[in-house]
Amino acid sequence: MGEAILSLEGVTKVYPGVVALENVSLAFEAGEVHALLGENGAGKSTLIKIVAGAISPDAGAIRVGASSHARLTPHQARALGIEVIYQEFNLMPSLTAAENIMFGKRTGRFVSQAAMEARARTLFDEFEVDIDPRALVRDLPASQQQIVEIAKAVSREARVLIMDEPSAPLSMAEVEHLFRLIRKFKDRGTTVIYISHRIDELFAISDRVSVLRDGRYVATRGTAETSRAELIGLMVGRELKETYPRRDAEPGATVLELRGVTGNGDRDISFSLRGGEILGLAGLVGAGRTELAKVLIGAARLDSGQVFIDGKPVSIRSPRDALRHGLGLIPENRKEEGCFLEMDIAWNISFANLRRMSSGLVVRKKEERAVSERFRSLLRIKTPSMSQQVKLLSGGNQQKVVLSKTLAAESRILIFDEPTRGIDVGARQDIYQLMDELVRKGHSIIMITSDMEELLGMSDRIVVIAEGRVAGTLERGDFSQQAVLELSSSGAYKEVVA
Amino acid sequence: MNLVKRYAILFILFGLIVLFSLLSPYFFTQENLTNIFVQQSYVIIAAVGLSFVMISGGMDLSIGYQISAVGVTTAALVKWIGIPLPIALVAGIVMGTLMGAFNGWLSVRLKVHTLIVTLGTMTIFQGLSYIISRQSVILNLPAGFKFFGQGYLFDFLPFSVLLMALCVGIASFLLNLTWFGRHIYGVGSNEETARLSGVNVRAIRMLTFSICGFFVAISAIVLFGRSGSASSSTGPGVEFTAMTAAILGGVSFKGGEGKMWGLVTGVFILGVLSNGMQLVGMNTYVQYIVKGFALLLAVGFDILQKQRLAISAVRASQRAAA
Repeated sequence: MGEAILSLEGVTKVYPGVVALENVSLAFEAGEVHALLGENGAGKSTLIKIVAGAISPDAGAIRVGASSHARLTPHQARALGIEVIYQEFNLMPSLTAAENIMFGKRTGRFVSQAAMEARARTLFDEFEVDIDPRALVRDLPASQQQIVEIAKAVSREARVLIMDEPSAPLSMAEVEHLFRLIRKFKDRGTTVIYISHRIDELFAISDRVSVLRDGRYVATRGTAETSRAELIGLMVGRELKETYPRRDAEPGATVLELRGVTGNGDRDISFSLRGGEILGLAGLVGAGRTELAKVLIGAARLDSGQVFIDGKPVSIRSPRDALRHGLGLIPENRKEEGCFLEMDIAWNISFANLRRMSSGLVVRKKEERAVSERFRSLLRIKTPSMSQQVKLLSGGNQQKVVLSKTLAAESRILIFDEPTRGIDVGARQDIYQLMDELVRKGHSIIMITSDMEELLGMSDRIVVIAEGRVAGTLERGDFSQQAVLELSSSGAYKEVVA
Repeated sequence: MNLVKRYAILFILFGLIVLFSLLSPYFFTQENLTNIFVQQSYVIIAAVGLSFVMISGGMDLSIGYQISAVGVTTAALVKWIGIPLPIALVAGIVMGTLMGAFNGWLSVRLKVHTLIVTLGTMTIFQGLSYIISRQSVILNLPAGFKFFGQGYLFDFLPFSVLLMALCVGIASFLLNLTWFGRHIYGVGSNEETARLSGVNVRAIRMLTFSICGFFVAISAIVLFGRSGSASSSTGPGVEFTAMTAAILGGVSFKGGEGKMWGLVTGVFILGVLSNGMQLVGMNTYVQYIVKGFALLLAVGFDILQKQRLAISAVRASQRAAA
């Protein structure tokens, strides 16, 4: 194999609350196509940003050719021949293709429009594409914008070309063309670092694949010597099977009932939730599940329909009304909607219940402390102290704080929106355990999740939403991935039938 | 957290006091120190009002002209229309509170950043103030009015300082001990989380701005009482002094953060700086430069501390995990 043109040595990057990269060492060779693989949050973006000089590592070194750097500036990275094509293009929409390609390059004392266009045309010819150098970038389709990005990088004589999800906006034919270009660069001795979620593509284009997981380097394999299954195994790093608590309790009387609920994009939604039940809400992203949750807790308008709690019709116009009726949401975006990151744990936990904990205006601090301590042990929140800022906790512990806040407000009906998104495996088990304990104590749960295993493993019943309508209900005996997927994508069809 | 770091601005204030005491024999005298307190009392009262808005994540640029409008209106009611002083004072405070409520109502309605809303109302209040005062100076305010700015209780306690302490006390109580205060911090820290946790965010906006207007009106009465006459050009500029002091004292521009002791310390740092530099005989414009640097230094120091704190906390939790 060739010599290393770019290598990372023990690179570490820490953000408040997370270690984005931990002691990663990785070498890229001259003239290879090297794929980077990993789940969301594995550290791929952080890694390329460090190489591109967009962020500085906290430890480690970046070696380019013979020189070693503790950090790079974007300018240095460019001077060393490192070019990045980000997912969101870095083009100026109101300039022409030629102007974009030549941007920041000196071609002489004055700018010559003709020379710029000639240079751009040469590059486009070489790439075998028909793009007018004088066309404004904003008028070009995404695939051609990407070519302009590539031309920009190549015209700077890139030695290392990093492409972040380049195939995402492309059609099959366009991907083929992209691959031809990549092979051309490779033949010239350019190193291409290729990042993609589509594993099949990696087999088509890359020479070697490196896998990252949870900010750590896992392994590098020659593409010819590995398999799809091995790569997935390396990426996930665990048996795909989670263990779920046994759900065997008999659900009680109906606690929540929706009749023809319409609003916030959802139409005519009817279903009921029983005491001690976990009801899974399934559906594709954008099917209207989170939207429904917002309507239920009064954060979005209910246009028509009626909600019943314990058989009585209720009017919920604000999250405050919802909490009064014992209905609480554990939102999907923990950091934006669930907690106060700058505040401490106890402060967060008591927030939704402050009035009940006050005599007149004054908050009873002793009671507040007692309540938050109770939830700390009940939910097994791992922290050195309750005065720790929430932003310094791990995702799983943050989720427990949000849950505590909702439970402290004496909610009996809980809506979990993506309860384990971005939470590590261990803490995930904890959350499942907690959900099970809660329903055993008589709480009821609506669980919105896009994680199929979680949906099938945790639910007592599943309601599938498609395009803002109920597409069907599955009882535990009928659970299967197939059934859920069929109902999830049935919206358009049902529309025609109805 | 280390004591020195936590109370850094207090140490800076003491440092300045020691410094000016060494530089000028007139600085550390009872007369001068009382003077500083009296001079700063109206700034602190206005800053207390502003801090409610800032902690809830907003900004109020209009408080300078609120002071101006409330001051000339109260003076005009007393001197030109002949309304009894107590009623005029109450009317002034009601007016301030209503101007604040107007700011709050607009920011809820228009859904634009409060900075822009109050940039607009600042100009409105300016026009209002000059129309009411007919661009003239109302001289010889009654003794009762002046008492708010110049009076002494028991011959040693300036009434304005007592008012200031009262305002700081009320604000501390509301912000630190009540659920209402928690809700204000909550809205400033994360508006969406606060809303989903059952807080009426619109009510908080309306109330914080109204409270701000209330305190600003008291500040106006103290300031106009001290000068003994009323003109529309008195007041503007206070918004920036108050904002500077608040930020210096650790009230975050982004909201959700800030303590009363920090705010008061911030005001006194600025007050001691200008008083001390005056006594030392420093050029007025040099004073501006020093104050500007003081703000930048304080903010820079604060950010540095927070970064260090975050990094050490992450390291600690990593060690615990390993």
